[in-house]
Amino acid sequence: MTIPLTPTSARQPQQRGRLQSMTGKTIKAAIGPLVLGLPLALWQICFFVLPLGFLGVVTFWQVRNYRLQPAFVLDNWERMLGSNAFQRAFVHTFSVAAIATVLALVLAWPAAQTIALRLSPRARDRWIAFLILPIFSSYILKVYAWQVILSPQGIINSLLTAAGVSSLNLLGGALSLQIGYMTLTLPAVTLILTFALLGLDRDIIDAARNLGCKGPTLITSVLIPAIRPGIIFAGSTAFLLAFGDYGSPVFLTGSNPPTLSILIVDTIKSGSQWPRASVIGVTMLALPAVGFLIVTMVKWLLKRTRA
Amino acid sequence: MKSPLSLSSVMSFIYLACLALFIAAPMLVIVVFSFDANRFPTLPWGGFSIEWHKAALNDPMIIAALRNSAIVGFGTATLATILGFCAAYLDYRYHFFGKRAMMIAVAIPPAVPVAILGMAMLAFLSRTPIFGSPTAIIVSHTVIASSFAMALIRLRLTELGPDLEQAAWNLGASRAQAIRLIVLPFCRPSIMAAFFLSAAVSFDEFMVAWFVGGVHETLPVRILNMLQGQVNPKINAIGTVVLAISLTLVLIAQRLARTGKETR
Repeated sequence: MTIPLTPTSARQPQQRGRLQSMTGKTIKAAIGPLVLGLPLALWQICFFVLPLGFLGVVTFWQVRNYRLQPAFVLDNWERMLGSNAFQRAFVHTFSVAAIATVLALVLAWPAAQTIALRLSPRARDRWIAFLILPIFSSYILKVYAWQVILSPQGIINSLLTAAGVSSLNLLGGALSLQIGYMTLTLPAVTLILTFALLGLDRDIIDAARNLGCKGPTLITSVLIPAIRPGIIFAGSTAFLLAFGDYGSPVFLTGSNPPTLSILIVDTIKSGSQWPRASVIGVTMLALPAVGFLIVTMVKWLLKRTRA
Repeated sequence: MKSPLSLSSVMSFIYLACLALFIAAPMLVIVVFSFDANRFPTLPWGGFSIEWHKAALNDPMIIAALRNSAIVGFGTATLATILGFCAAYLDYRYHFFGKRAMMIAVAIPPAVPVAILGMAMLAFLSRTPIFGSPTAIIVSHTVIASSFAMALIRLRLTELGPDLEQAAWNLGASRAQAIRLIVLPFCRPSIMAAFFLSAAVSFDEFMVAWFVGGVHETLPVRILNMLQGQVNPKINAIGTVVLAISLTLVLIAQRLARTGKETR
């Protein structure tokens, strides 16, 4: 340490004070995170982490005389994973959610591109505001409204009969289910793609256009590669929403065939089979994790083979 | 740039309008047919009537559900906003071990399918005294809504920059004073936006509320139960009220979030 030129008597207490305040500071610096973080951490642990963890524990429990009892049995897993109903529901839910994901991305893309790249900032803000509204407003009502629109004596069919066309059987099939899923996913997917495109450097697009790249080529070789993370985020949002949805499959296909969410509700509400319902829940939660793991492994393998 | 009225831009505007129609159609149907005199909502329209609105507002179960929704929405909004601010400020100001895990735990609940979250909350809360009370719904909704609250407030804090608060400390303000006098006023629009958005999230959620609420039905749960019964023209009427409330909440939240941006 350099010797200060100021009188030592005046300097020393100040330095000791600084030292003291240093330790005081570290304690003080820890107070903030503790005061703000502890309640938050406790809340998330108590009401999110523990309930989900408990769900995992329950999968090993037993139901005896209609009562849930602690145990450690693999019976629930064996029974559920081996059951035909579960396997069919899993494949069905996965495939309709995958179709919804592709459909949502394809349908949202042109809209996102128009909003992000063609509209004036003012109009763009209005569209973004418009798209945020349906995300937070009464999904269950909208599903009911589609039921009203598509039902045998509903709005579309009464229009068709008035036009002299025989009525169509619109409700209760793959089409009505996807209409429900699109109601659920399209606003969010369009928004995410719009924001991804807005984050793009406009010079890249202008440069591509100047080099004669336009239309579909601009989309496939410039825009899509440039916003790939945004597309992946939008796609996984759509998949998760559709995969876990309850409203559309119940009210637009009449639970036929049932999805995993319907299976969960039925397993609990009709038989109080908590452990088996928990197996379904844990499997549903594990799916995105497994998907993530596979993607990471494939990436790692590709990197190794390239190296 | 191309001229704004080329064929491709006209087509893309038409497409955008179609998408908007698809998104708005179900909401319009609810509102329009709530004023229809017919029992079953179909064409042709049976004439203007507010009979179903009256019937809905005279239904004691609907009124009870409305009251429950208001209590749950207010409780959720308050708690989620406080927790959301704590999370956003922690993420903005501090670095500490486990911060990432904590932020993920706050951000991720909306990504968990509500059927699973509802089942987990039911299995867990049924072992606590709050089970089957509006408090159980508030607690569950807060977990979902604080993620959105955090996102809104965190976004605003990015605009604050680190210097202003540091300047306050250098001038002798304590950490708490700096939060009270600098951070909170700066974040006020986004804090209020977070409050209204959390209320909207709670007001819209039916699955978890259905699982953990027991006999305490919120409005969306009441609607869900009505949907599982006979065709009921009251659904459109109460739906119009629900839509009006949730759209208003989100619009207020948007307006507030935007004023935040303009005052910078």
